[in-house]
Amino acid sequence: MNVRLKFGAAALIAGLMASTVPAFADFWSDAGAKFKGVTLHGVTESTPPSNYIKDVLAPEFEKKTGIKVEIETTSWDQMYDKAIKDMEAKTGIYDMVYIEQDIIYAYLARNFLVDITKSLKDDPSLKAPDYDESHFTTFANYFKGENGDLFGVPMEAFIKIYLYRKDLFDDPKIKEAFKAKTGKDLAPAKTHEDYTQIAEFFTEYGKANGMDLWGTTAQAHTGHPASWYEFFESVAPTFGVYNWGIDAKNNYAASVANGGTMNSDKSKAALKYWLHLRDIAPPESAASTWTEVASTFAAGRAAQGLVYGENAAWIASDADKSKVVNNVGVALPPVSDGVMADAESGKGYIGYYDGGAFGLPVTSKNKEAALLFLQYIGQDSVQSGWAVAAPRITNTATYEDPGVKDMDAKLGGYYTMLKNDGKLFAGAPPYPFHAQVREATAPIFYRILTGEVGPDEGLDQMADTAEKELKNLGYRK
Amino acid sequence: MGSNRTGWLLLAPTLIILGGFGIVPFIYVLWVSFHQWNPFGANPAMIYNGADNFRRLVFDTEFLQSVWFTMQFGFFAVVSEIVIGYLLAQLLMRDFPGKSIFRTIHTLPLIVAPIVVGSVWRLMTTPSIGIIPYYLNHWFGYQMNIGSSATAAFVTTVVMDIWHWTPLVTLTLLAAIVGLPKDPFEQAQIDGANRWQIFWHITLPMIRPAILATVFIRLMDALRTVDEIWMLTGGGPGAATRYVGLHIWKIVFPKTDYGYGSAISVIVLYLTLVMCWLLYVGLVAPRVKRST
Repeated sequence: MNVRLKFGAAALIAGLMASTVPAFADFWSDAGAKFKGVTLHGVTESTPPSNYIKDVLAPEFEKKTGIKVEIETTSWDQMYDKAIKDMEAKTGIYDMVYIEQDIIYAYLARNFLVDITKSLKDDPSLKAPDYDESHFTTFANYFKGENGDLFGVPMEAFIKIYLYRKDLFDDPKIKEAFKAKTGKDLAPAKTHEDYTQIAEFFTEYGKANGMDLWGTTAQAHTGHPASWYEFFESVAPTFGVYNWGIDAKNNYAASVANGGTMNSDKSKAALKYWLHLRDIAPPESAASTWTEVASTFAAGRAAQGLVYGENAAWIASDADKSKVVNNVGVALPPVSDGVMADAESGKGYIGYYDGGAFGLPVTSKNKEAALLFLQYIGQDSVQSGWAVAAPRITNTATYEDPGVKDMDAKLGGYYTMLKNDGKLFAGAPPYPFHAQVREATAPIFYRILTGEVGPDEGLDQMADTAEKELKNLGYRK
Repeated sequence: MGSNRTGWLLLAPTLIILGGFGIVPFIYVLWVSFHQWNPFGANPAMIYNGADNFRRLVFDTEFLQSVWFTMQFGFFAVVSEIVIGYLLAQLLMRDFPGKSIFRTIHTLPLIVAPIVVGSVWRLMTTPSIGIIPYYLNHWFGYQMNIGSSATAAFVTTVVMDIWHWTPLVTLTLLAAIVGLPKDPFEQAQIDGANRWQIFWHITLPMIRPAILATVFIRLMDALRTVDEIWMLTGGGPGAATRYVGLHIWKIVFPKTDYGYGSAISVIVLYLTLVMCWLLYVGLVAPRVKRST
């Protein structure tokens, strides 16, 4: 073979390789080519992680695949309203819906969602190389069906943490005043008594010094379920009242008389503790949902409080929105005796593990394209940027990223706490009747908040109403 | 015969739309109201339960309370809107500097979506940060807190509704006043009638149809208001502003009790018709009787 021929053959082989390699290397453009012209529609709650999907991940995906993605971010209530109406009426408007952990059981009971694991097994051509279900944190277990398959790609997970103001807790004058008043060192509370004492101290301190400062936050809206959630998911468990005080294994009993704990002494003590905190919290607390609680803390109006982790990053680091940047400490919520042991053994929990996933409605008209997008947001490579922009971790690949480690330091060790102590927290109980029992009992709870009904009598009424509703729904025999 | 067919053909689109979007859904709601149906129940199927839902709501204190609060809300909001709307309409009949700017600004609330109105009022009334509690405290020492005071929350919902809907009343009454003949007024002035007598015996009777139409429209709107209240107070504190529209929404959507929610909807429709009929009888029928 002469030299010219050799060069010609080599050039031909190199040319063929050059034109073939990118096709294997770029899974997204190949997979997306089949769905050119498709527009995916998703609906989700307007939160920092969801906004990241809308503003960063969706445009990236669109660029790589040619599949257009329109993400609608709206309020929590509207999001549910739209998603449920769409799936109920089978209109097929949405290809992706946000599934908060507490609603997954209701969606699964109604067969609203596509089995993602099975769908990817059935059509391996759709399986992205960088997507691996086993990389998700244990929070993904909440989105698995009875068969162990995944029905939603986890996209956010937070724990509702105890935030405190480091600048106040470390101030020598304040420490001295606290010591003089209580005889104790000022440090994040580990018990309810300590928490109350610190809250009372700071409320009095703020008043005495003409400051807009109170001792605690309180998510105590008198007409919004946020207050109901704060009590049943964040406060009652720290007193040893788990799963809203409903015993699913005991014919869904709620009242003490029937074996439940919704109106138990522990529950009543928890409510009185929390109502007292509400009374010494900033005045806006009676109209505060989770959003306002975060704003109150960010405005520097509370010395400590239970705040949803999704807000921790901007409170701790965004100087445009927060007055307490670099002054935020995180700790585990205060608990009663025995609760921590319960949580460590898996018998109980110390607070709420909140979060959600993106699911694919069975009514979607673009299931294959939506599966690609769900894998795109679940793959390892996009996780670190997302975690830095919004404090959420759902994939174990995220923890060791240098950017995430930097952010962890800014957040006072929030990610470390999520990694190490996340197991002490729990999501909502696996009830398909979540919203129904909440809505049946919430009006009584609001009347407790306004003082129309006393806490003991109110909890008795709530337990009774919960059992009646469960009977009406057919769960309680 | 031919003109009949043409008439029906011309009416057909309207009848189809009315049937498709009005009559059929109403019949469906009526049908559902005779069933127990919660898709998130252990048995998600519709189960016929006769008049049980209607029997249940007679003893449902939450529902009865919401109807009572709604009637109070409707009364205060609609009466205030009619009075303020009439005064503003009279004002706009006169010339004054900046009249056109005033008319434009005054009409702006009408084009704002109810959900936005609720959001803006929530921002303005949130304790500690809202502008309204701030000035009420600054000027009068009044600590306004719509999260804990039922009265403050109720008054705020009424004021918000007045702010949103008075322009509609103003425009309607302005159109009615502009269209009035001048002769009766001139004759009354010649006869020595004072302003109150002219208003009571001439203006009011002549604009009565416009007032009545406005009252009907606003009353029906007030009875079904949801978005603004939901955004502003969520129905609280307690159930102080859980008006019947919001009550139905909570029963039907978050609670997904479709059967019972439908029964309430049917009863509320019936109540609305009865109230409008009573108003008609009270305001129009005596006049018709006198004229015959």
